[in-house]
This record gives sequence, structure tokens and C-alpha cells, in this order.
Amino acid sequence: MTVGTKKQIVEQHQKNVWLNSAIPAVTPVGAQDFSADGFYAPLDERIIASAAEALEAGQTHYVDVPGIAPLRQAIADYLNATYGTALAQGNVIVTAGAQESRFLTIQMLSEATGKIAIPSVVHPGVLKAIGVRPLTVTPMAVDSRLLATVESIQAALEAGNRLILLESPSRLTGAVYDAATVQAIQTLIVKYEATLIWDQGFAPWVTDYAAAKAGEQVVAIGEAFPGSGLSSWFIGYIAAPTALVPTMQSQKQIMAICTSTAAQYAALEASKLFGDIQRSQLQRLQAARQTLAGLLQAQVEVISGAAANVVAVRLGGGQKEQAISRLEAAGYRVSDGAAFGAADVVRLSVSHSDAAETAARLVQGA
Amino acid sequence: MTTTAPKQGTNLLYALIAEARGYSDAIILGRGDPDFDTPPHIIEAAKQAMIEHHADDVPPEGLLSLRQAISERVKRVNGIEADAETEIVVTNGGQEALLLMVLTALGPGDEIIIPEPNYNTYHDALKFARVNKVSIPSSAETHFRTDPEKVRAAVTERTRALLLVSPNNPTASVIPQDDLQALIGVAAEHDLIIIADDIYDLFIYDDYKHVSPASLPGGKERTLTLNALSKSFAMTGWRLGWVTGPADLIQRTKALKAGITGGTSIISQYAGLAALTGPQEPVQMMAEAYTRRRRLVMDALDDMGIQYGIPQGGQFVFADISFTGMDSAELAQRILSDQHVLVYPGAAFDKERGQYIRITFLQPEDKLREGLERMRVAMKRVLGSG
Repeated sequence: MTVGTKKQIVEQHQKNVWLNSAIPAVTPVGAQDFSADGFYAPLDERIIASAAEALEAGQTHYVDVPGIAPLRQAIADYLNATYGTALAQGNVIVTAGAQESRFLTIQMLSEATGKIAIPSVVHPGVLKAIGVRPLTVTPMAVDSRLLATVESIQAALEAGNRLILLESPSRLTGAVYDAATVQAIQTLIVKYEATLIWDQGFAPWVTDYAAAKAGEQVVAIGEAFPGSGLSSWFIGYIAAPTALVPTMQSQKQIMAICTSTAAQYAALEASKLFGDIQRSQLQRLQAARQTLAGLLQAQVEVISGAAANVVAVRLGGGQKEQAISRLEAAGYRVSDGAAFGAADVVRLSVSHSDAAETAARLVQGA
Repeated sequence: MTTTAPKQGTNLLYALIAEARGYSDAIILGRGDPDFDTPPHIIEAAKQAMIEHHADDVPPEGLLSLRQAISERVKRVNGIEADAETEIVVTNGGQEALLLMVLTALGPGDEIIIPEPNYNTYHDALKFARVNKVSIPSSAETHFRTDPEKVRAAVTERTRALLLVSPNNPTASVIPQDDLQALIGVAAEHDLIIIADDIYDLFIYDDYKHVSPASLPGGKERTLTLNALSKSFAMTGWRLGWVTGPADLIQRTKALKAGITGGTSIISQYAGLAALTGPQEPVQMMAEAYTRRRRLVMDALDDMGIQYGIPQGGQFVFADISFTGMDSAELAQRILSDQHVLVYPGAAFDKERGQYIRITFLQPEDKLREGLERMRVAMKRVLGSG
């Protein structure tokens, strides 16, 4: 048979470098896996009980497209209490994880212009979301911590971009913008009447975090109540100004109708426990990261970062490939910064409770 | 309470759903959500997965064990050979599967041939992908048959795909094997990808028979097929479906899945595994109930003098209300406002199908009877005042 159409599809697909970019897993596979975005966390039995109770009570049907009302309210309450925003339930869309949050915001908020500006170093999930329906992309230069610079953000806006995506913390290095820089970015966003997609998914693992909250022009995204053991359940959020909600909600209907009810009821229970979960996880992650970074610093350059769940190191001159292949041979997995746009960087996630001990063996082995 | 509903598409449906929520005694004969709850053994499996597998790694294409179960299912039920490693992607329900199939096969400016009317979100997915649709209209007189010759005549140089939904939503028509083989012939002749939707394949009535395009000669290599557990196991809230197809296309489907949602909830996947590998009696029980309810709806429509296409499969009837002289959106609004019964207007599925309404039989029999009786009252008033 001749299947020229298939051949064309395959050829076009192979040319789509964004869509073909590698993406880290959400959950680590075993104690030697330092590559995942999420980390292993036990699931509190109250979360299991709550999700099971909902299912047994018949919560097995479609629910509202943007999510069940109490969970939307719980997410709004958490963000308001933590970051000083003024979100209502109607500002929140519950998503099937951080990637759906990226996809919906990137694709739907770029509808009018077909353009977006992103840091030249960014989570590969951003590139994948762009690759689904390719956009015109303006890369923004990054500083030594691999965060987009204020100058590059301004240049992107001056060049006509009206949709900017930033990560703080960086999903690669864990670096964050300080309050003054966040203010400067917000001022630019307001001045140019742009929209800012602000990925704050790693923010719970930072102390003294400065969130962006420029009224009608900031759309925040992230995982819902991370560290609660729900990484593999895929549950995230979009917190958006009222005027921007309908377009994303409508697309959510087209692509999934709603988010899994089991995951939503589990996240609702997690919201009640999150204060304690976040405090204890942060403490554990900080201790593990400190040990890990200390071990690494003796041998390689550790990039400055604030989020306790990741450590990024710079390995130039061909060292990176050697290190990754030696680690892989020894059964360790790490994230190659090349997938994020940083060719000489390796990211190690603080994935398991014994990450520091495992890392010690890793460093000795490498 | 009255609202000014937009005149077509998904927004029209959501406006009506929102209004129905305001009535404490509303009877919903519109939305495709089975009234049955998910069978208990599936919920038990989900609870067990929460304890044992809550943090398992989830590849974008889904757990291999689930893909193996899907492979066995599509072979047993549909006669489709699909390799679990390379020819299956697990999705967040049939809806994500639908979008993934469209984005896999089509790009901006491409054309797809769609027998109309059809499920409204196909239109939304095509709009997102910036794909042009070429409609092949059908009607109740022919029980909404898709004529292969009409499809052949509609092919242009930009046509790249053909959508085949059987049983169709909203018409409930099933494509006979002869027609299906002829449609595959048209696709082969013009090198088209077939996008097949088998979601209602377990609900077939009388002597009608469901056949999957990918099971027929010449079909597999050019067909992407979706299915989901929402309708068959009453699992709409779990969001679990899949796409099967040739490995070269599925490679793209997998990349798109990674870009859109990244993965599918681990708990839903284990629940799906239990559904596919556990007792199948609940499906049979639901199918028997739908058979009885279908008869109730057909009898009631006959009594009301409303013509419809014989529902050959699915969970609904598509009825012609042109004799009322009203547009379907207007009529659905009247029935809802007057008798608090929600039926879906045909205009929501296809702007040219404003003379139809879709009535689902996804309510217990007593409630369904009451809903139909109320609809009869509403229709009398409509005709009396019309």
C-alpha cells in the first residue's frame, strides 16, 4: 500500500524539535533516581480514606470542568494565605497536573498573537506544550542562575511580545527572583499590557518566596499541594484573572472534560493537611539538599538556588556527558540540563528521604 | 428562570446544564453520563492502588500492564491487533483521545470529512487544530447512514482524514460492515487517515453489529481508534481512555500526550486495569438496562408522533422535531423551562441539525418514564401555543 499521508505526518513530526524534546518524569523510580520533577512522599492515610469515601459515595461521574468547588476554593485559599493574592474560587481551574497547566495557559493565552517569550533555559514541558501547536517563540537571555533577566524580559516586550512565561523557582536550578525583581517584572508587565504566566510549582520548597501578583495580568500555575504523595495522581492548578478563565476552561472541556474525581478529592483532603506536610517536607528537603550540595561543591560548581528540592551543577568541557554515562552505568539517573536549554548543567532532584546518603555514594562513584 | 442561551456548540449545552442545575426536580436526559455508579470491584482496586501504587512512575503512554489489558480487550472485542509496547497510548478519557487523534493526523489547513451530525467537541478539537471540516449530512429517513459515495465525492486534494464514529453520537447509527469496507476503500484510494471512535461499541441493539475499521482489510495501517471506560463501565469521572493505531502514528500521539497532559492518573489506570481484567457482568447488566430504556424512549416518541432514527447503538435517540416549527435550541429551552427536563438540542452538535434533539436513556426507568411524561406535556403546550 502507499501511505504518503502517514509518511508526511511522520516527517513533519520529526522536524518538530519542541514536541520531541525529552521531559523529566513526575515521580522518581527508586532511591537512585535523581531525575524526576517530583519526589517520593508517603500518602497520608487520611487522604486515602477521603478519596475512597468519595468514590464509594458515588463520586465517579463527570464533575464541573474547572474542578469541584471545594477544591477550587481550597487552592484559592492556600494561594491567598501564602502569597498574598486575592483569588476567588472562580479564578481557579483544577488541572490534570502541571503539564496541563502549562499547555492550557501557553496555548490559549497566545491565541490572539501566536507568540510567546520564554526563558532560554526552561522546563522542557514548556517546549512540548508549544510544540503541540507551534508558536513564534522569543527566547529570553538568562543570568548565571539561569533565570531570565529583567533586561531580556523588557526586550521581549519591546519586540511586541504580550505573553511572557517565567519560572520562579527555576525548574532547573531552583533559583528564585527576589521581591525587588518581581516588582520590576510586574511593572513591565503592566506597562506593556502583557500577560505573565508564572510557574510557581516549586515555590513550596522555598523560604522567603516572592510571588508575582499583578492583578489582572498574572496567571499562576503549579502542582496542587505537592509533597502530599500525589505526584502520580496528576493534579495541578491555574489561578487566573476572571477575564482569562473562560478560554482556558473551554479548552479544558475539549481536551479532558474534567480532572479525575479521585485525584480531586484526594487533593481536597491534602489541602487540609498541607500546612504540616509542607513544613516537614521542607525541613527534610533542606537538610538533604544541604548535604547533597555540600558533597557536590567539593568537586563541581553548584549553581545558586533556593528551592530545596533540586540542586543544579555546572559541568563543562565534556565532563557532563562522562558524568551522566558513568552515573547511568552505576544505576543512577539525573536530569540533563540540555533538555532545559542548558547544555553544561545537570539537575539532581532531592527525590527520596535517603537522597543525601544515596548522593554520597553517587559522588564517590562519580 | 430563563436564560438566553447561545445558539450552538458546547457553550449552548453548558448554558442549558447550568440552568437545569437550578431546578431541584430536574430530570437530565441530555448529558452522556451513565446513572450507574462505577462497579464496586473497580473502586476496591482503586483503593488498593492508593495503598500500594500511589507513587509509581507514570510514563506518558500509560502503564504497560494497562496497555497489555487494552491490547487484549481490543483484540477480543474489536478484532484489532495492537501491540502494547508501540501501538497504544492511555489518555485522560475519550475526550483527550479525540484531541490527540485529531492533532496526530491533521495540521492547519488540512481537511477532514465528517459525517454529520457528530459529537460537538470534534468540531471544537478541529477548531483548535485549525483544521477544516467537510460535512456529509445525513438524516433520520435513512437512519443517519453514511453513504460511501457521498464521502468519495467530498474528497479534495486537501483531504487528509475521515472521521467514523460508530455507534454515532448523537444519531446512534451503526455503520454496517459493507459500508465500512467501502469507506476504507475510499480512504485507501485517497490515502486518508481514518479517525475511528468506538466508545459505544458495547452497546448495540437488535441485530446490528459493530465493526471497527482497524479490524478490516486495509484498515489497520491507516486507522487511529479511540475508546474509553466512561460509558462501558460508568467511569466518566475517572477520565480513562486510549488510542490505538499503527506504531509510526502512535509515536506522534505519545509525544502529543506528553505535551498536553504529561500522563494519566495512576489511580485511574489501576482502576481501568481492574475494569478490563475483572468481571464483565456489570457491562452486561448495564447493556440490558439500556435495551429496556431504549424501548421506553422509542415508545414514548412514537406516542408523541416524533420521528427518529432507530437507535442502533449508543445510549440515546436523535429525534426529528421539525414538525414543531421550532429550532432545537428553542425547543430544548422550552422543555427545560416548562417541565425541567433537559434534552440536548441538535444545533449543539451541528448548526445545520437544528431540527433534532438528543434524548439519552441514562436515568433509572421510573425517572426516565417521568421525564418522558413531562416532555409529552411540554410538547403538547408547544404545539398548542405554536
